[in-house]
Amino acid sequence: MITLWRVFKSGFRNTFRNAWLSSAATAIMAVTLLIMTFFAFSIYFVRAQLNEVQQKIDLTVFISDDAKEDQVKALQNKVLQVGGIDSVEFVSKADALKRLENSSEEGKKLAKSATDIGNPLPASLEVKLEKLDDIGGVNKQIRELPEAIIISETSFDSRDDNRKGVIENVIKISNGVTKVGGVLSAVFLIIALMIIFNTIRMAIFTRREEIEIMKLVGATKWFIRGPFIVEGSMYGVFGATIATIALIPIGRVAGQFLVDKFNAGSAMAYFTSNLWLVVLCIYGLGILIGALSSWLAISRHLKL
Amino acid sequence: MILLDRVTVIYPNKTVALSGASLHIQPKEFVTIVGASGAGKSTLIRLLIKEEVPTSGKIIVGSIDYDTIDKANIPHLRRKIGVVFQDFKLLPNLTVYENVAFALEVSGVKNAEIKRAVPKILQLVGLSEKAHHYPGEISGGERQRTAIARALVRNPKILIADEPTGNLDPKNSWDIIELLLKINRFGTTVVLTTHNKEIVDALKKRVITINRGRVVKDEKVGKYTL
Repeated sequence: MITLWRVFKSGFRNTFRNAWLSSAATAIMAVTLLIMTFFAFSIYFVRAQLNEVQQKIDLTVFISDDAKEDQVKALQNKVLQVGGIDSVEFVSKADALKRLENSSEEGKKLAKSATDIGNPLPASLEVKLEKLDDIGGVNKQIRELPEAIIISETSFDSRDDNRKGVIENVIKISNGVTKVGGVLSAVFLIIALMIIFNTIRMAIFTRREEIEIMKLVGATKWFIRGPFIVEGSMYGVFGATIATIALIPIGRVAGQFLVDKFNAGSAMAYFTSNLWLVVLCIYGLGILIGALSSWLAISRHLKL
Repeated sequence: MILLDRVTVIYPNKTVALSGASLHIQPKEFVTIVGASGAGKSTLIRLLIKEEVPTSGKIIVGSIDYDTIDKANIPHLRRKIGVVFQDFKLLPNLTVYENVAFALEVSGVKNAEIKRAVPKILQLVGLSEKAHHYPGEISGGERQRTAIARALVRNPKILIADEPTGNLDPKNSWDIIELLLKINRFGTTVVLTTHNKEIVDALKKRVITINRGRVVKDEKVGKYTL
C-alpha cells in the first residue's frame, strides 16, 4: 500500500520535474488523439451519410389506378415473401397527395392543382430492402410475380441508366468505405501508436541512467516501472484534456459546416448526444496508449 | 563477512577480468583494494553487488551464497550493501533529501521512519544545509557525501566505495576518506578501491593489490605499490 502510494507520488513528481519531455510527449499524444478522433468521426460520418442515401433510394412500386384493393393486398403479401426485404408499406393515392402537400411550399401548390384535376398521383408500395445490393434482383422478382399485373412501373425501372449508375456507385462506395475504412483505421492506429511509443521510448532512453541507479539502490522492477507507467498515463490524461478542449471549437465550426453542406444533422446529433462517451473514449485511449508504451519501452532497460 | 573463493570472470569477448581471485574480509574491517586500471577492481565490486556473475568460483557475503540467490531477491541483496561510486549515481530529478529518502522508500520503510532517519544521516555527512538542493546545484564533494548518506541510511553491514575520490580535489577527497573512517569506527565494514597513493599510504590499513585479475599482495598495513 505504502509502495503503491510512493509509485504514484514519484510518477507525478517525475512528470512535473521533467517538464520538457512531458510537454513533448503530451503534445504528440494530443495530436494523435485528435487525429484519431477525426478519423473515427469521418468513418462514422461517411457511413451515416451513405446510410441516409440508401434510405432514400429504396424501391417504390407504383400501382395502376384501376387495381382493386384485394389485388393490392395480395401483391403486398407476395412482395413481403420475396427474399431480402425488410418491410413493405402501402401508400394510397390520398396518402401520396398528403405527402406532397406536406413536403414544401412548392408541394402545397402542386397538391392543390393535383386535387383540381382529380389526383393523378399513383398509389404505391414502398419497399425497404435489407441490403441495397439486391435492388435490381428484388425489382426483377417483384416484376415476375403473377400479381404484378397491377404494377404500372417501379422506381427502379423508371430510372434512366445514369441514375442506375448512381445507385450502383453508392453501393460500391458503401462497401468500399466499410472495407477501406477498416483497413485505414487499423493502419492509422498502428502509425499513431508507433509515433507515441517512440516518443515515450526516447523519453525513457534519456533517463536510462536513472533506471540504472534505481536498480543499484535496490529498487524492485515494479518500483522502477510503476512511476514510468504513471507518467505515461499522465501524458494520456494531459493529451486527452488538450484534445478535448481543442475539439470544442473545431467541432462547432466543422459541425456547422457539415450540417450546412451535407445535411449531416443526424451524425452530428449522434456525436453531441454521446459527447461524454466520446470524451471518455479519448481519455481511455490516451491512458491506454501512454501506459502501454511506457510499459513496453521500459522493459528493455529493466533486466536485472 | 566477504569471501571470494577462486573467482574467475571471463567476458564474452574472452577478456579475463578476474582469474582465480580469492580473498576474505572480516567484519568491521577497513580494506583498500588497489590495482592499475583494468586490473579487475571494478569487476570485483560488480560481483559483490551481483551486477556480474562469476564464470567460476564462489562468493559468499554475510550468510548469503551468491550461487543460490534468485533474481527476484537481487534488489533485497542490494539493499543490504551500501555502494558509493566514482560518478556518484544520484538521481538528478531528486533533491539531496529525496535521493537519500529514495533508498529507504524502495525498501518499504514507513514515512515516519524516513523523516526521522534522513535528517540524522544528512547531519552525519554534513549536508543538513543542502538537503533541498538538487545534485546539479552542489559541489562534487557534496554529491559524494549525498551518495554516502544514501548508502548509509539503511544501516548496511558493508559499505563499498568504488573510487569515491576519483572525481574530487584533494581537500574533498580527504573529507570523504575521513567520513569513511568514521563510518568504519561505527562498525561498518568498508571496502574501498582507489588510485590515490597518498591516501592509501596514509591510511595504514589493510591493502589488497590486484594485478591482471589476480590477488598479488595482501598486507595488514599496506602501501600503494603496483
